[in-house]
Amino acid sequence: MQILTLSVLDRGIRVGCQEPRSLALVSAAYGPMRGDLVETSLDYVVGRDIAPAAFFVKRVGRELRTAADDATFLGLLDEEVVVELQKLRPDLYFIHAAVLERADAAVMLVAQSGGGKSTLCWALLHHGFRYLSDELGPVDLQTVHVYPFPRALALKTEPPVAYPLPPSTVRTSRTRHVTEADIPGGIIRGRTRISAIFFLRYDAQAPAPSVRRLTAGEAAARLYENALNPLAHAGDGLDGAIRIVSHACCYALTTADLSATCALLTGTLERSL
Amino acid sequence: MVDSRPRRRSDVSVRDVEGDTVVLDRAAERIHRLNSTAGFIWQRCDGRRTVGDIAEELAGAFDVAPGAANEAVVAAIRQLDELGLLDHTLG
Repeated sequence: MQILTLSVLDRGIRVGCQEPRSLALVSAAYGPMRGDLVETSLDYVVGRDIAPAAFFVKRVGRELRTAADDATFLGLLDEEVVVELQKLRPDLYFIHAAVLERADAAVMLVAQSGGGKSTLCWALLHHGFRYLSDELGPVDLQTVHVYPFPRALALKTEPPVAYPLPPSTVRTSRTRHVTEADIPGGIIRGRTRISAIFFLRYDAQAPAPSVRRLTAGEAAARLYENALNPLAHAGDGLDGAIRIVSHACCYALTTADLSATCALLTGTLERSL
Repeated sequence: MVDSRPRRRSDVSVRDVEGDTVVLDRAAERIHRLNSTAGFIWQRCDGRRTVGDIAEELAGAFDVAPGAANEAVVAAIRQLDELGLLDHTLG
């Protein structure tokens, strides 16, 4: 069995992989989190189940969970890790967001699943942004800094031709994972101050992307809707959301053509910084 | 309508955020952002003030004509009621 040791949010995760395919998948998806373990907070064994096409995830001391295919397997492990990290770091305010860095400040792209976070994130990485996460923004409410959650960038659909995926992209039955070496601009390893938050909405009919500055109240309400663990915080998490948006410029961004959306977002940031 | 005395729900979390009012309704798992006018009206829905009283206060605070203030308050209270933020159910 091959052991992968991961380090994220100052916690250690050990994943024992029982066979080559699960090892390849976990290495591709979590490679950017590889690090030395000081202490193991989460301990998993993964591999193939008895059925030929099935995988399993087992947290030591817990029941085994199975997945019918490779994409479901990675989704299952992701879900496990994200839920358990929220328990291990209840001090952090977890937001469903992609996070990028530009000019030493973090930019959050907030949307529900399927809202285009990862695709826009992938495109922005070609325009001078650097990567912290495409899925999770864990925020320290004291400093209003966001931690990296640098799982490999995962896309559910093929991006537009202007932003092609590299040949070494790892593909599952439903997802595409861009490995660490192929992230343009590289990965940010440290906590980063939040400067801007964009709430995304994709409109296939929109002739062009558009952006609108949000009031702090509107931004707080939108951020709260995308928080994963608000009830772990004082005031049912409302104060945390208000604190975060009070330290950032917040916008509603209707996305359309990807290149035009990148240009609009970049221009908006340059005017706000 | 002008004589009714709407009452805002007390089992919600409320914060004033730079002129907006943010209302978290955990029972309905919804969060609302009220602009300054709606927030002003909602804060005055205390079960004692009538709709007419609130309209009068709104007219004074925002320097609007009494008729327009009355229309704004009636519309806002209907909307607040639809959002489930009032105890008082309008007839």
